[in-house]
Amino acid sequence: MSRTARANKRNPVTARRGPSLNAVLTGVVVLVAVLVIGGVLVLDRSGGAGGASSGTLVPPDAHTLSKAEGDQVTLVEFLDFQCPACASYYTGVTKKLEQDYRGRITFVTRNFPLEGHPLAVPAARAAEAAGKQGKYAEMYHALYDNFDTWATDGRSTSADTARATAKFEEFATAAGLDLERFRADSASAEVQAVIDRDVADGTALGVDSTPTFFLDGEEFSAGGSTIADAERELRARIDAALAG
Amino acid sequence: MNRALAWLLVLGGGAGLAAAGALTLEKIAKLRDPAYVPTCSLNPVVSCGSVMDSAQAEAFGFPNPLLGIAGFAVVVTTGVAVLAGFEPPRWYRVALNAGTAFGVVFVHWLIAAGLYDIHALCPYCVVVWVVTIPLFWYSTLDTWPGLAALRRVHSAVLVLWYAVIAGLVLHAFWDYWTSLL
Repeated sequence: MSRTARANKRNPVTARRGPSLNAVLTGVVVLVAVLVIGGVLVLDRSGGAGGASSGTLVPPDAHTLSKAEGDQVTLVEFLDFQCPACASYYTGVTKKLEQDYRGRITFVTRNFPLEGHPLAVPAARAAEAAGKQGKYAEMYHALYDNFDTWATDGRSTSADTARATAKFEEFATAAGLDLERFRADSASAEVQAVIDRDVADGTALGVDSTPTFFLDGEEFSAGGSTIADAERELRARIDAALAG
Repeated sequence: MNRALAWLLVLGGGAGLAAAGALTLEKIAKLRDPAYVPTCSLNPVVSCGSVMDSAQAEAFGFPNPLLGIAGFAVVVTTGVAVLAGFEPPRWYRVALNAGTAFGVVFVHWLIAAGLYDIHALCPYCVVVWVVTIPLFWYSTLDTWPGLAALRRVHSAVLVLWYAVIAGLVLHAFWDYWTSLL
């Protein structure tokens, strides 16, 4: 403050002397940079509804199966509803984690339907449509709990859209959803946009297979080869994160 | 060459040397065990693993930090020699400026690669960016008498330079920074 005031009062001839001009200009550049960067960050944050502020990992409208106060430990899973490995992880790992750590960790699921799974996108649409009526978790559980009834034909990946759609509507009815609204939301561009955003975020984060987990932003790759090993390791990491 | 520049050479060159050395050690650890996760890989954005695995990390057919170890060692040595009384002749200062000019061009190519191609920030690399710019800038001002006008606003130019790069980094990883808030 005082430096600027002095510089302003100075005779223009002497003001051209090196150090003061340099110091003033340096100060101005720093000040402008801090104001612009800080201002843009703050403005962007307060205008959060625009979506530009959404985190790549956890957007503001992300689906949380478990929510912890202050999001101290956050587990994010990129999943494909028709991927057999995801279904195995659901049964062997995430369903248990969701129960055991309920309220202690924030568990977020993101869509990452893979090509080669023709019913993955319809299933993701069903889950998102259920989410629009506040029943995302119910649909998520129904899809994986009844994986064999819609996702597979015997051992191979099913492409039977009619059968799957009928099943999804059955799950929706069981969850107490307004079926007309569920159908409309499932077909809506808005729901597809959410799925596309999830896929884009996953791609940006380097996700190329499912399930892919991020624990507090760090990609978790199971060291062990079996589901049981993966569960043990993920629990150990979560426990360490909770303790730390 | 004045003592302030000599100290810049010692400290800036020393920081660059340490960063290049650390990157080389990480590279060796990674060669020994491909599954090794470098100590500087903290999350998808702040990561040197993805940077070290990129094609740009071996721009001349060998790992870039080897260039850093050789180059920054010369910079530190020059600084120490000047502090010990060495008066570098003009040809020496021109050569030093040519070396730092190569460094600064290379660093900006790497910044562009990191921000727009690899999409990751490697902390040790950022240290090299931060020191290479003033090493080039002040070596240039010291070498060319015709730049007297710029010498009067030397730190303003440096800070502006940093601010532009900080802005580009902020913009390129916008989602990451806002997720931290």
